[in-house]
Amino acid sequence: MNLTFAHFPFLSAILLSCVTGLVLILLAPGDRKGLIKGIGLVFSGITLLLTVILFCSFDRTRGGLQFVEKIPWVKPFGISYFNAVDGFSLPLLLLTGIIFFTGVLTMWELEERVKEFLAFFFLLVTGVFGFFMSMDLFFIFVWYDVSLFPMYPLIAIWGGTRKEYGAMKLFLYLLAGSALILPTIIFLFVRSGLNTFDVVSLMQPGTFTSLDQRFAFILLYLGFGILAAVWPLHSWSPTGHVAAPTSVSMIHAGVLMKLGAFGILRLAIFLCPEGWQYWSQVMAVLAAIGIVYGVLVGLRQTDLKYVVAYSSVSHMGIVGLGLATVTVDGLNGAVFQMFAHGIMTALLFSSLGYIYDRTHTRMIPELGGMSRTMPVISIYFIVGSLAAMGVPGFGNFWAEIIVFIASFRTYPILGAIAVAALVLSALFMLRVVQKTFYGPPNAHFADLPDVRFGLGLPRLILVAMMILFGLFPWLMLDVIQTASIPLIGGLP
Amino acid sequence: MIVPYGHVLILAVMSFAVGLVCMVARRNLIMLLVGVEIMMNGAAIAFVGAALRWQLLTGQVFVLFLIGVAGAEVSVGLVLIVAAYRKTESLDPDTYNLLKW
Amino acid sequence: MIPALIRDLNLALIVTALSLPLLSFGVISVFTRPHPRVSAAISVGAVTSALTAVLWLFAMNRHMHQPIAYAGRWFISGKVVICFGFLLDPTSLLMLTLVALISCLVQIYSLGYMAGDPGFSRYYAFQSLFAWAMMSLSVSSSLLQLYVFWELVGLSSYLLIGFWYEKFSASQAGKKAFLMTRLGDTAFLIGLFMVLINLGDLNILALDSAGAAARMSPFMITASALLIFGGIVGKSAQFPLLTWLPDAMEGPTPVSALLHSATMVAAGVYLFLRLFPFFSHSESAMTVFLSISTVSMLMASTMAMVQRDIKKVLAYSTISQLGFMIMALSAGGYFAGAFHLTTHAAFKSLLFLCAGVWIHHYGTNDLFDIGRRGGRRARVPMVCLIVGAGALSGVPPFSGFFSKEAIMATLAALHNPVWVAAGLAGAFLTAYYTFRMVFIILFPRDTEGEPHADAAGHKRTLDRLMHGPLIVLSVITLALGFFKEPLKIFLLTRQEFTGSGAVGHSGVFYGSMALVFVGVAVAWFEFGRKRSPRVGFVERVPFLKALFSNRWYLDYVYHKMVKTVLDGTFSRLSAENERLAINGGLDLFARFTVASGRVLSFLQSGILRYNLMVLFAVVTVLILFFWIG
Repeated sequence: MNLTFAHFPFLSAILLSCVTGLVLILLAPGDRKGLIKGIGLVFSGITLLLTVILFCSFDRTRGGLQFVEKIPWVKPFGISYFNAVDGFSLPLLLLTGIIFFTGVLTMWELEERVKEFLAFFFLLVTGVFGFFMSMDLFFIFVWYDVSLFPMYPLIAIWGGTRKEYGAMKLFLYLLAGSALILPTIIFLFVRSGLNTFDVVSLMQPGTFTSLDQRFAFILLYLGFGILAAVWPLHSWSPTGHVAAPTSVSMIHAGVLMKLGAFGILRLAIFLCPEGWQYWSQVMAVLAAIGIVYGVLVGLRQTDLKYVVAYSSVSHMGIVGLGLATVTVDGLNGAVFQMFAHGIMTALLFSSLGYIYDRTHTRMIPELGGMSRTMPVISIYFIVGSLAAMGVPGFGNFWAEIIVFIASFRTYPILGAIAVAALVLSALFMLRVVQKTFYGPPNAHFADLPDVRFGLGLPRLILVAMMILFGLFPWLMLDVIQTASIPLIGGLP
Repeated sequence: MIVPYGHVLILAVMSFAVGLVCMVARRNLIMLLVGVEIMMNGAAIAFVGAALRWQLLTGQVFVLFLIGVAGAEVSVGLVLIVAAYRKTESLDPDTYNLLKW
Repeated sequence: MIPALIRDLNLALIVTALSLPLLSFGVISVFTRPHPRVSAAISVGAVTSALTAVLWLFAMNRHMHQPIAYAGRWFISGKVVICFGFLLDPTSLLMLTLVALISCLVQIYSLGYMAGDPGFSRYYAFQSLFAWAMMSLSVSSSLLQLYVFWELVGLSSYLLIGFWYEKFSASQAGKKAFLMTRLGDTAFLIGLFMVLINLGDLNILALDSAGAAARMSPFMITASALLIFGGIVGKSAQFPLLTWLPDAMEGPTPVSALLHSATMVAAGVYLFLRLFPFFSHSESAMTVFLSISTVSMLMASTMAMVQRDIKKVLAYSTISQLGFMIMALSAGGYFAGAFHLTTHAAFKSLLFLCAGVWIHHYGTNDLFDIGRRGGRRARVPMVCLIVGAGALSGVPPFSGFFSKEAIMATLAALHNPVWVAAGLAGAFLTAYYTFRMVFIILFPRDTEGEPHADAAGHKRTLDRLMHGPLIVLSVITLALGFFKEPLKIFLLTRQEFTGSGAVGHSGVFYGSMALVFVGVAVAWFEFGRKRSPRVGFVERVPFLKALFSNRWYLDYVYHKMVKTVLDGTFSRLSAENERLAINGGLDLFARFTVASGRVLSFLQSGILRYNLMVLFAVVTVLILFFWIG
């Protein structure tokens, strides 16, 4: 694994812009809401810009770890402040930047306790960025918990349906996941005998025995799998989604669930490759069940947010299936799907958040004919659901196709089941679209305003991203391949 | 030794046990103190027997200490009991259950 | 790429032809939604220019001997190489021309038909989207690329069928169309993956070559052929996925004319044409295809015999004719299938557009109503209807006669009486139901005096916009038959397309001719004569009438399957599992923790005695432990 050290600490700059924004928000007086929102917008914009520049300046021919920053911190335990970017984390950093910015824009109309909300939001995103960038196990765990903690107040204070229950369930369940992860990290630290928490050193072949790897892999898989909505550990997700306010749902489904999948990739797969191969069939079965199950349960839901939440469970199953194939294509598809699904689900939540803000209901039987009342926001939602169904022209199509090809090659039956789920997901999304947006308009909501350009901007950005990577998928795949090919090549 | 060491110890244990039961199983604070006294007496017997067994005067000195300490402790204990009685008009230890969850 | 474009005129033309409708879609969707006339102008302009480019391309390459292929690597992911390119050979050029021409005519017709509709811009945006997707499908060079455009065509169909979305039945029909074709597409995708994994390449030229057959085992070829055919069954509405097409008639009539008769549903047949050499390697698969298409053909014809709705008659007729085409192809008749595809596109869209004129004026789809209100007095549609009906039934000298003759010859060459009998029965039924429709309108009872043409000037322009394409299509229908030989020479330039059965067996030929005239005669007898009862011979048998009207209860089966099996069983079980087992289990765990806390809290009684007892007991145990241990 070749390391390219950074001339300019780009990654720390990204973290710094989030932290500076956080500090400025905390210092600003609580009643100057416009000022606070402005600070939030500016700093999330700066962060987005930095991630885009990072994405473009990643050297695709060299690959390996780039923009490396390594400063030893606690020498007796081998803990160092080690940030780096590789083909796997780069798309996710870009994703976080995009959803951060669009999330802040989506909450533009918030009036209640804006300062606290944005402070927690910035803290959350800082934790997420740190997680994706870090190559030191200790810091990875710290950032995981930093990103976890703000979820509780964000949902419990600004949330909706059953917010206390949802916040508690989400927080405790994810904390249970971290209770599985921390001992395993310590286990790995002790068993390696190298006295370091550094991923790069630990991933050298021969560091761990085969048995250790299998043991550690399953624990890490289950621990991160809770966050990645692996069936049957997924049930915190729908409850949490429904309870959370709109931007938090966007971050939750768009980024946080990817944190789990990425955790599996960065920790379990990088450090325990033999464990990965050993457990891959179990992973594949669970993923396939998740794909079909998410859709089947979603068919019966009447709350729009539950619908999108269960569709997320299903799509994360596709990520899991890609990871389970132990092939280059599978990894490519899985990471691409992480990116594409994140954008799509953020779009869906953002659009339905707008509708909810105006109509104060998310129940499908009460809505109807929204296309006539609010055509523009309806188009955004419908575009999002088309992407969810795997219609070509959006990035999701390519991600799903690559995962299906890879899984069909390795597990033909499971691959066929996953493909068959395409029909079910089409049924499920089309039914929702029909009942909510088509049909005669509901007189109750007949004179609600449609989204103006300013408020529609976040959704527009998300749609543009989906189409961009749908038409030019190589922009993303070239990046991912710099990491997936060496990883599979180095497998025993 | 006229009395075998083991017998002395048995006497000590019995005395200790009597004191324990009296302390634990009575519903009167003063009996609690009485129990403590009896237990200490049991310990004293054990010390005397040990002194006799190993022909050391240390054990007997310890018993003298014990008698003094027991006296001091009982007086402090009685003062506390009197204060507690004045507060709650009850000598039943079960009434003092403010540490209940 | 730009220098290459300028150097190579073919490439330049094809890229222009494809990008113009796409640009039109983009521009209309984003910018000109509030300006309907501008949108229509952009769309019609784009498609006409595309048509010009395509005609030029066709003319330039009319003597081509070798297919021209352009391919570029789009992206690579591990072992999967996705290429993007254009394949220009006679079949694709023919399809491209057909699509461009009919799209152009339909868009011009829509200027009249859809005038005044609030969604005018949206309609033209979707029409442009469809034109782009269908044309790109025709020239796709790899199977995956074809699949991408196949899905996009399905998407435009969904959007256009549910165009009047405030009507529940319209959005329902759109959803049904999308889902049924998706079902077929799933099989298509699995077949595609099988080919990719076994062959490593999805390029159509590579698939059709002899090398492909050598590299794949016969079982693999049959399996993947059957699966890919699943997509054809869905898209071309063959049995058992045929019920979406009649429901798709909820969309505006020009949409029915373009998508659901001439082009989109023909995409399935086109796929068959593309993969004809590949499919031919598997005898058993071809027999299965033949059976399915025969069943569809006959079933749909029976359903058409009892319909009162003019569009539904034409929809069932489309299913039936597609069945004919696939029968021909499965029997080895490449040219017969391709020729019938072309002639059918012309006369079926003609029939739909004629129906559209009446629907637009009278606001009703019902045959008897149209007849009663004086439909026959609209001369242009009436004449064109008769022309189209003649072609559909296979009456000489219309184009349909020549293409049907080719199909019957192919079937006869199989030397199997079953298929020939089916084909003859089909010919009879087609003639019967077609002329039933014609005679109901042509010879109505109790006419009301309702004038057809209005005096207002703008109405007349709109009428002329609608009549123009009708006349063009009638001319094509009349003339196309005489181009059979030149087309044949054009299409069959490659060695792989053998067995086109040039010489017709006289017995079968005269038999089918006779049956056609018998069918017309029966229709005349029942519907045309002055004192006819106007009840079909099938309608007299109540059981048959019920069976055919209810689409052989296929919809009933589907509805039951979705409701009972899917919604009732799987979905309900999963949701209950979610609620009780998974969430309930978690809640139970949480409640258990809280309850055990409550139980354990009894230990904290605050009673001193108990604490003391525990203290002494523990100390005793410890002492014993250390003393004995």
